[in-house]
Amino acid sequence: MGKLLICDNVTKRFGGLVAVNRVSVEVSRGELLGLIGPNGSGKTTLVNLISGVLAPDEGRVLFEGRDITKLKPHERVALGISRIFQGMRVYPYLPVYYNVELSARSVFKDAKLARSKTIWALTTTKLLAETLELPANLTPYKIKMVELARALVTNPKLVLLDEPFAGLSPEEVSEVIEIVRKLNGNGLTFIIVEHKLRYLMKIVGRVVVLNEGRKIFDGAPSEAVNNEEVSRVYFGVV
Amino acid sequence: MSKLVFAKPSKIKKVRKLLPSLAVVAIYLALPIMGLSGFWIDVLTRVNIFLLITLSLDLYSGTTLYLNLGVPFTVGASAYAIALLNRYLGIPVEYAILPSAAISAVLSFAIFIPSLRVRGAYFSILSLLLPIILAGLVTSQPFSLYLGGEGGISYPPLFFSYARTLPARERLFFLSASYFYISAAVAIVAYVICYKVAYSDFGFMMRSIGQDELLAEASGIDTFRVKLVGFTASSFLSAVAGALYAAMRPPVTADVFIPANTLVPSLTAVILGGMGTVVGPAIANHLTLITYEVLWGVLGRWRIILYMCLLIVLVLLRPQGFVFYLYLRLKRAVSTKISRLFEGA
Amino acid sequence: MEEFKYILIFGLLHSLTYLVFSLGFSLIFGVARLPNLSYGALYVFAGYATYIFLTQLGLDFSLAVIASTLLTATTSFAVGEFTIKPAMKFPVSVFITTMAVAYIFEEFFRIQMGLRPVTLPLYSGTTTVMGVPVSNHWLLVGLVSLLMVLALLLFLFKTSIGRAVRAVAESWEESMRLGINPLKVLRVTFLLSGVYAALTGILLTPLKALTPGSGWTPLFTAFAVVVMGGIGNVLGTVIASLIYGFTEQLVTYMLGGGIARVVPLVLIVLVLVFRPHGLFGRGE
Repeated sequence: MGKLLICDNVTKRFGGLVAVNRVSVEVSRGELLGLIGPNGSGKTTLVNLISGVLAPDEGRVLFEGRDITKLKPHERVALGISRIFQGMRVYPYLPVYYNVELSARSVFKDAKLARSKTIWALTTTKLLAETLELPANLTPYKIKMVELARALVTNPKLVLLDEPFAGLSPEEVSEVIEIVRKLNGNGLTFIIVEHKLRYLMKIVGRVVVLNEGRKIFDGAPSEAVNNEEVSRVYFGVV
Repeated sequence: MSKLVFAKPSKIKKVRKLLPSLAVVAIYLALPIMGLSGFWIDVLTRVNIFLLITLSLDLYSGTTLYLNLGVPFTVGASAYAIALLNRYLGIPVEYAILPSAAISAVLSFAIFIPSLRVRGAYFSILSLLLPIILAGLVTSQPFSLYLGGEGGISYPPLFFSYARTLPARERLFFLSASYFYISAAVAIVAYVICYKVAYSDFGFMMRSIGQDELLAEASGIDTFRVKLVGFTASSFLSAVAGALYAAMRPPVTADVFIPANTLVPSLTAVILGGMGTVVGPAIANHLTLITYEVLWGVLGRWRIILYMCLLIVLVLLRPQGFVFYLYLRLKRAVSTKISRLFEGA
Repeated sequence: MEEFKYILIFGLLHSLTYLVFSLGFSLIFGVARLPNLSYGALYVFAGYATYIFLTQLGLDFSLAVIASTLLTATTSFAVGEFTIKPAMKFPVSVFITTMAVAYIFEEFFRIQMGLRPVTLPLYSGTTTVMGVPVSNHWLLVGLVSLLMVLALLLFLFKTSIGRAVRAVAESWEESMRLGINPLKVLRVTFLLSGVYAALTGILLTPLKALTPGSGWTPLFTAFAVVVMGGIGNVLGTVIASLIYGFTEQLVTYMLGGGIARVVPLVLIVLVLVFRPHGLFGRGE
């Protein structure tokens, strides 16, 4: 099993609405995959299914060849799947250090290891100067960095980024991209959900396009732009 | 959203920073010897026991923000366990305290497991329903036959068999003083443990659940386990409070299940003191409950209404609790003064 | 056979009263997603208000009913406006503030009225229904309850305000996108739930003696029913109150009133274990 992550025909329904409809996606190690689609196309739901926040109604999710469909989010984090939520999602009344350390502490039972991992993650995201700050005193960019540090601190193999560029200035976006590229160069796999296509298309090696819960395209970004159905549902709408 | 305490207070480097607090505790402990009246010693004993409930509430609800309105259930279960162990198995209350607390903690654990799995208000709902239903059970047929009904269950209180051998005029003082010191000792130990736990990594995990549970879960924290452990530890504290109180003040009646008796004072203290700060609620516990006794002479029953109005206003205006902030300011002022004194010497 | 009919009739009547009371409770619960723990106190408030209007002011019965209903609705509105709305940002505080309100009322009546149970005039006489003698007051209660349920259903499904209430209960954000002001809707539910608490209080007080603390049991019943049926789900509430009423009557008949008190506990625990969002709830 060479693939890192396999979503095998996963389906998720909310009442009568089918948010994700028999979607299959395979992700290889070291890949940088873009997940795009218009609003309500099921991108975030798919991310939730992979990270375990939601359980699929049908289908399986495999990680490193192991069926993780029934595992809880925290168990998946321990296996190596980290995620960043849409928007700014941090513990508002905990300082940066604890925002990051608590995740490390829950994955690594050894407190010393957890602490050194935390310091490493804070260094990678250039947050060492802000360790004792509360999130309320940070810029949106720094908060994104806190989230990224929290995702990295658990030694992930796969990181899911849900709209990581939202609310950031172009310079800040390129800084995020630089960090992502560097980590990807070290072999870390990413799935990025994003609306800002002009940034996304430049960095990802492959895109998956969803529309109304179905996968309508899977391939190179350059082909996606030329694909008729993709242009119609996606670029036509936006 | 309340502004929870975020930073671990810096490690106390010098013992002298602790001196003011130790002095206050020492004076407090010396009160019975200094000739405080029996009535007030009893009041302080009760306040000490309430501190356990307050700490229990603060440790779990103050950090995870899952409001445990079922505290009276845990308190009452251990109180009834003491009474029943005495009545049916003949175990003296002295030996029944810890087993009863354990029984009650296990019971609470077993009953609340399903609601701990669910996010949101369901936990508070279930916890609110439990004590009232139990109070109804205790006083209605056929359970009242075994549980004492309205009159409750009576038994010889703690140390009574020993106190009986004392001369009559020493007896009362011995009982109230020994109760005071036992309750104070347990309260101090509980305080230190709670403080340590609340500001440990585990304590911060509970706080993370209170601030964003979905995030906590998705970023690796086993929220169910954290809630379970935290809840059981906190239940054990309330259970000890119930067992101690029952051991000292028979008979046990269904009154222990009524939130106004066993929950509301501690809830007020936790809100007033600052949720999750441990220090604040502990101080607020003593302040509010002692004032509550003093107010009896002035306001009578109206004091409950006054406290409730105060509670509403405080919750709406300052959910972060101001006792803790007063404490921090006072502590800073006092410790700088003391350090200056030492440096001058 | 006789017992079966008895259980059928009284199960139905009890279910109806639970339903009315629970619907009033679930109005706020559904819209605000937070429980109003002072709802039981409003029930008691209405009972005492009617009692005072009747005995101290010597008002006519129907006039007293109208006056106390209006007074309770106003009180409910004030309670909502001052203790629920400002506390909604922080869910835990709503539990605390509304519980505090409940205790304020309870203590106030304890001080003013004492612990001696109070009662209201009973519609006397009995009628035989299907061979079972039923007191006329119970029949009146059943009839009025039925009318109130139908009125609420009409309101919720046929009027524009009612539709707004349902929309807000469904999703706060969606309704705002549709141009509904959730806070205004919330105000409507404060008033309406006050009316429902008042009417049940006045109707049931003659059957069950009124003491300052007697609001808790109905509150918990409403809680159990609403949680069981799924918060904000009208049909679920109807079915849950039927289940609740009949189970309670059946257990009372078979095992006695003491054990019947455990019924809500067992039901709620079962529901929480197997259907965490209520029998008909849809989850998050």
